[in-house]
Amino acid sequence: MTAFLAIAVVVAVQGAFATRASLAQTFARQSDIVQAQLALEEMRRLQIDAESSVRGYSLTRDPFYVQQYANVEAQFDQHAATVRATLSGAGLTGAVRSLDDYIALQRNWRTKIADPLLAHPGKDVTLIDKRNKAFTDFENRSVQLIRTSLADANDRLARTAQEQVNVNAYSRAFWLIVLGLLAILLNGFRSRLVTELEEERTTTETLQRAFRSEAAPLPNCEVGSAYLAASSHLAVGGDVFDVYRLSDTLALIFIADVSGKGVDAAVLTAFIKFTIRGIALRRRDPGAMLAEFNTAFSQTVENPYLFVSMFVGVLDTETLALRYASAGHDSAFIRRSSGMMQQLAVTGPVLGVMEEPFETKTLHLEDMDTLVLATDGLTEARDRSGKQLQEAGAMRLIGASNAQPQLLADEVVAKVRTLGGNELRDDLAVLAIRVHEAEADDEEV
Amino acid sequence: MKRYSALLALVFVVFAAPRIVHAECHLRSGDKIVLYGTTDDPDVFIWDSRFRLRDYAGGSFDEMNALLPHAVLARPGTRAVVESCVSNFVQSKYFTNTDDAIGVRILNGPLNGQRGWVLGSSTRGIRPR
Repeated sequence: MTAFLAIAVVVAVQGAFATRASLAQTFARQSDIVQAQLALEEMRRLQIDAESSVRGYSLTRDPFYVQQYANVEAQFDQHAATVRATLSGAGLTGAVRSLDDYIALQRNWRTKIADPLLAHPGKDVTLIDKRNKAFTDFENRSVQLIRTSLADANDRLARTAQEQVNVNAYSRAFWLIVLGLLAILLNGFRSRLVTELEEERTTTETLQRAFRSEAAPLPNCEVGSAYLAASSHLAVGGDVFDVYRLSDTLALIFIADVSGKGVDAAVLTAFIKFTIRGIALRRRDPGAMLAEFNTAFSQTVENPYLFVSMFVGVLDTETLALRYASAGHDSAFIRRSSGMMQQLAVTGPVLGVMEEPFETKTLHLEDMDTLVLATDGLTEARDRSGKQLQEAGAMRLIGASNAQPQLLADEVVAKVRTLGGNELRDDLAVLAIRVHEAEADDEEV
Repeated sequence: MKRYSALLALVFVVFAAPRIVHAECHLRSGDKIVLYGTTDDPDVFIWDSRFRLRDYAGGSFDEMNALLPHAVLARPGTRAVVESCVSNFVQSKYFTNTDDAIGVRILNGPLNGQRGWVLGSSTRGIRPR
């Protein structure tokens, strides 16, 4: 829309300048023609003055009239040159021919009428008067032709100027209306699109808030979590995590990342969350959970382009034994109490791709060890140069963060946001669980 | 029947035809006028033939020398009476407008009693129609 407005401004300004230049040129030519008209009338006046001077000398023989005759004839020639230049410049060839006739007649009059009368002022002037009258008649015809030609040229220029103004005004108005309508249409389309995106985002976020990510308190554990949505102009993704107590001592811990974005991905998180919970109530083996979920997922989700990476763990909060399985989910780490970082291995392919068994592994956590699970928004986070953080970078970032789980999760999210210059391309979920050795019962002590 | 038709034709020839011929003339026979050219050159040529008047108005300057002996020059204000008028008889060589040829008889001045032809535009009516 900004481009349309810019084009509209350019069209308007360019049109104004074009009209101004065109009118200036036309007015300059009109001014030349008016000057020529004035000069022509001055020539006509000088011609009459010359005739009057000759008559005056013929009647009075006063030398004053001879001098006046010489003066006006000199001025006549000067004005003739001016008019000739203007007519030639305006391309009025017909008028130039008439001017040449006029000048020739005037010179003819000088030699055949004026000079003989000045030389013999007492001579019978009857014939000379007739010839003088004839000269005047023919000169009048030439002058009338020039006048008509100049008036026509002036009218043509006025019409041309009016046409130029009309054409410019109408064409600019047309293009401004077209561009304005396009801008209005585009703005309406854009507003509708933004509204639809916002509605979808709001719906998706509502669904996510409802389905995602609960971190129930666990005995002997500190749980922290954080979630950072991608930048607002992108659709939300399908990240989900859950901490769910299966029994007094067992807790289900999982984190998953659904491929794709939008409402479909968000709804799928609900399916994942409650399906895994349901399976976990019947099975305790994470690999078996993933296998069963994989079957359910393939039979339920018809979209062949959707798949899920998932880490599922069952933590014994008494023994601190963690049994886990990972379906293509490589953002699972252990931060040892010593500060050393360990990545948990992937034990099977991503879900929704193929029917494969998932291996279950067991890991014994120590006091103050922290399990850190994240979605690929962490490992695929990019710095401003476009370089991805990868697993090594993620472990460095986690290792350098605060040890307290909630502070750790918040700090990781904040660092990822800073890394990308506040531009996050994908959602990021972080779940951190720090375990503590169970305190001995007082009764046993 | 033939007699009535002939009578009607005669009436038309006698009364209507001259009016048609002179329908667009600005002057009619018997009108009193004053001769006056233009403001710049008020003298008026009086020609001995309306055809020479037409030749002078529509001709070239070179032809003018041959025609000039057939004209006399009347001073502005010379009075005359219209004896005939031929409408749109004179056509300028360069302009589209036409002029009437007016047959006049001079009523005063050195040319008193002389007959000739002048341009309609060189006359001023004393008694407007």
